[in-house]
Amino acid sequence: MIRLGSVSISHALSVNEARDKVRQVVEALTGDSITATRLATATSQVCRSLQRETGEPMVSLDLWQDGGTSRLGLTFEALDPVPGADLLAGFFDAIEVPPRSDGRHRLLAVKDLRIPAVPAAAEVARLQAILQRKGVDELMEELQVKNRELQESFENLKRTTSAKERMESELNIGRDIQMSMLPLVFPAFPHRHEFSVFAALHPAREVGGDFYDFFLIDEDRFCFCVGDVSGKGVPAALFMAVTKTLIKSRASNDYSPASIMTHVNDEVGRHNESCMFVTIFLGILDVTTGQLAYTNAGHNPPYLKRKDGTLVRLDKRHGPVIGAMEGMVYQEDRISLSPRDMLLVYTDGVTEAMDPSQALYEEEQLVKLYGAREYASAEDVVSVTVDDVWRFQAEAVQADDVTVLAVEYFGVPEGVERSVLELRITNQLNEIARVNDSFNGFAKEHGLLDDLRRPMNLVFDELLNNVISYAYEDDEEHAIEILVELSSDRLAVTVTDDGIPFNPFQGGPPDTSLSIEERQIGGLGIHLVQNVMDEFNYNRRTDKNVVILAKHLKTPVSEDE
Amino acid sequence: MKISVEEIGSVTVLRFEGNLDTNTAPEAQERFDGLIGGGVKKILVDFKALDYISSAGLRVLLATAKRLGTEGGSLRICQLNDTVREVFEISGFSTIFSVFESESEALDGF
Repeated sequence: MIRLGSVSISHALSVNEARDKVRQVVEALTGDSITATRLATATSQVCRSLQRETGEPMVSLDLWQDGGTSRLGLTFEALDPVPGADLLAGFFDAIEVPPRSDGRHRLLAVKDLRIPAVPAAAEVARLQAILQRKGVDELMEELQVKNRELQESFENLKRTTSAKERMESELNIGRDIQMSMLPLVFPAFPHRHEFSVFAALHPAREVGGDFYDFFLIDEDRFCFCVGDVSGKGVPAALFMAVTKTLIKSRASNDYSPASIMTHVNDEVGRHNESCMFVTIFLGILDVTTGQLAYTNAGHNPPYLKRKDGTLVRLDKRHGPVIGAMEGMVYQEDRISLSPRDMLLVYTDGVTEAMDPSQALYEEEQLVKLYGAREYASAEDVVSVTVDDVWRFQAEAVQADDVTVLAVEYFGVPEGVERSVLELRITNQLNEIARVNDSFNGFAKEHGLLDDLRRPMNLVFDELLNNVISYAYEDDEEHAIEILVELSSDRLAVTVTDDGIPFNPFQGGPPDTSLSIEERQIGGLGIHLVQNVMDEFNYNRRTDKNVVILAKHLKTPVSEDE
Repeated sequence: MKISVEEIGSVTVLRFEGNLDTNTAPEAQERFDGLIGGGVKKILVDFKALDYISSAGLRVLLATAKRLGTEGGSLRICQLNDTVREVFEISGFSTIFSVFESESEALDGF
């Protein structure tokens, strides 16, 4: 038997973590995303009830050979008997209750993987790496450990050195933490031709808590942020580390800047005894479409420099600074980027840089500088900006951190095509027919065959019927947005509604083996959707339900192989 | 959706055209209920010209079959396109309904 690894289930975030890891492992083993998602969903339901228990509940994954096939075992364990055996039985091939050991109860769910041999060592190592990947929980814990260590060295310092040296040391430690968290290697994404990014952060000697970060969430989505923490030294640096970690962790399954900020603000605000806060500008760029979604939480408004030289000030604020007050709901805006457009984000260290006569650099100079000429690249505009600040500052002391980040958009290289159909309907059942008519027109235009078109009609009928019939508790008119994206190998559908939080995929499949007298129909529609589509995903994003479905257009692997 | 009705011997044949989904299911249900209320016992549903069926449509078929069953009648279905056949298979309806390739096969011995 090969132990792949374990996930401990200590709170709500680790439930998602367990779900994602199980899904990834099963998909890697079987190549079957539907089965992977089903097993992961069942696992997360059991984990959700375990999460409320004390005594370090956890789930472990094992792989073993049995006759001519390989089996995957999920062992749930906790101090109390593990619930959910019936639920798991609907998804797995066998459920066992192993004898208690170490005073802990166990529940074993076994899935026959229908693959002949246990994977090779390299593959096993890869699976183990998936399970070892750190969750937000562990990252937070590490930060706390780091925090304690710093606290201790700080205490030592206090005992042994003068006040002035102490201050100096603390500021140095803070700056080290700050700088060690920044991505510093450029070009950051040499293989991506759709965009480029460049950033520079110059810390001031005393005050300053700037940071920036950027990463690809998935193939298409580039997330970047620039922030400025109130305060300085070690506390500010740790606050920054926590904020940055939370943003990255949340962005991994949430593509809405508003939703990410709302969530991060709640987390940061909850444990914020020191009353620090941070201004953040966060953007998510869809590199295939150029759509930029962004949320500004109390940060300086960035500029968008269009290809033709026009400067657009993104001056909308979407909520207060992060960490000041729990429970705020942040908004977001969208703007479309065209090839050769450049987005410039900076911190107030730029506009509030002082010359020897204590005059401020001001936004006006920045606007002039941006408008003055064409810039060859993101790197060019960043270094020109920083140089101009230094020129202005001359002999004066740098008062605050200076940070500039630029993203240049190039668009999708030629030869890659994607067609889009966007629809917006109200919550009336007869609107479903309109959606299907529009989709059929789109299908005809792009030469989609009936074998693909008809199941999509079914999917729209089921999903929209669900939303319109059950998502609203009032009699008001609501908008439902439908986005269809067709590329050469994938047809994706996104349905967004502002109804009550509801994950249509969380129920188990209905019993389709019952006789005509026993049959209940509830849940059947979603079961059909899950069977005709290759991917199905649900996310609650701020106050909206977002369902994303996709069908792969290459010949899919049969479930029985 | 359009439904045309023809009586062939003791069997009432309903030929569907278009979609049997959320929006058209209520009308289909009314047609079935009307026929059964009028004493019809044997119904053959011909889906040759049906584009797609959703769970709302399946619900109508199930309710109709149940009602016919209690009145001593029965329901047969024929000529499913690939999508409709897939939906029947996923939902298990292909095992609880009598499904035929053609009208003549369905009428044979009905």
